[in-house]
Amino acid sequence: MTPSSSPLLWLLEVAAASLAGGVVGAISGLGGGIVIVPVLTIFLKIPIDQAIGASIVSVIAVSSGAGSVYVKDRITNVRIAMFLELATAAGAIIGAAWIAPHVRPQLLFILFGLILLFSLLPIFAKLGEELPQNVTSDRMAKFLRLGDSYFDKRLSREVVYDVTGIPPAMALMFAAGIISGVLGIGAGVVKVLAHEIAMKVPTKVSTATSNFMIGVTAAAAAGVYLKRGLVLPFLVVPVATAVLIGALLGTKIMERMSNSMIRKIFALALGVIGIEMLMRGFGVF
Amino acid sequence: MNPQTMANQSTIQIASAWVLRIGVLVSALVMLIGITFSFFHGGTAVSRMQSDGFDINLPKMFAGIRAGRGKSIIEAGILLLVLTPVMRVATSMVLFAFVQRDWLYAGITFLVLVMTLAGLVWLG
Repeated sequence: MTPSSSPLLWLLEVAAASLAGGVVGAISGLGGGIVIVPVLTIFLKIPIDQAIGASIVSVIAVSSGAGSVYVKDRITNVRIAMFLELATAAGAIIGAAWIAPHVRPQLLFILFGLILLFSLLPIFAKLGEELPQNVTSDRMAKFLRLGDSYFDKRLSREVVYDVTGIPPAMALMFAAGIISGVLGIGAGVVKVLAHEIAMKVPTKVSTATSNFMIGVTAAAAAGVYLKRGLVLPFLVVPVATAVLIGALLGTKIMERMSNSMIRKIFALALGVIGIEMLMRGFGVF
Repeated sequence: MNPQTMANQSTIQIASAWVLRIGVLVSALVMLIGITFSFFHGGTAVSRMQSDGFDINLPKMFAGIRAGRGKSIIEAGILLLVLTPVMRVATSMVLFAFVQRDWLYAGITFLVLVMTLAGLVWLG
């Protein structure tokens, strides 16, 4: 497939290719870079750095567009988001300023890929589970008042949940920040893992809260890409507007899905990203 | 949770949702206006759209907007988009502090805001 040489057609091709990224990003809480980057590089022959530049900016559109719906519908846990953003932001700055100059990114891509593939195990263990059982708030979660409730449209009832495992969740979020800072990727996948595995919040809350947070991480990371001239404005317009429409559609789908279905989509994405990271580490693309 | 904090928490949620919605819709609109201008001025060869990078130069961007240059208008739209999550954090900080009087979360939000801005401005 060769990209069109007519400007209007090219813009429409890019927009059509990006739409799915917004839907997947909004449902999984991963932002959508997982779909946007491969589609732009493979089908539209955009160099990887510029594809990631467009993806980082567009993830902000997914996060904000889907976030405006999830926050209004009270699925997002704003306190968890604010508290964990602290660890991510600190990790991102330390990663970019002090760690990036000293490590080979290849090594980190491989390490990250392996971690993601291994974290499929605990996800598989609870693949069919609809809501977390027997979770009691730990001391930090009580102090920070993190427990909350949301109305589940699929179950047609209010779901009250407690939150646990704050120290491991913070460690994961700090690591997610370092990975973002060093590799320049959103690392939304680690955010969902922190919510799902460490804190044991319901999957929809986990997805919506991760989606809410990635906008802030992506905004900080976007600065680097803007300064290096890796953001192509004419490419961003079709990608960002298409993923925004996709994200708004995605929220409607996600709210009516079962938690276990969303977790299956996430597990699939986790495997794909793990393999993608290994491939980048080994220099395949 | 007493009804008062319940009401205030929903104030933060409603405000965050509106900041995100307005930010993302306005930036998308500005970008679409920018690309329309580019089409009218004939600067939209695919080879150019695949290579012309974002240029961080605010005076040049504002001059470009006044001259009706599509690329400058798109750049302004991208900046608005990048600032949307930052505005959301700033809004929640103000509401945590002055509406909810929740100093713990106002402090947490303040640190997040400072670190995000530091990352945006200094990194790279």
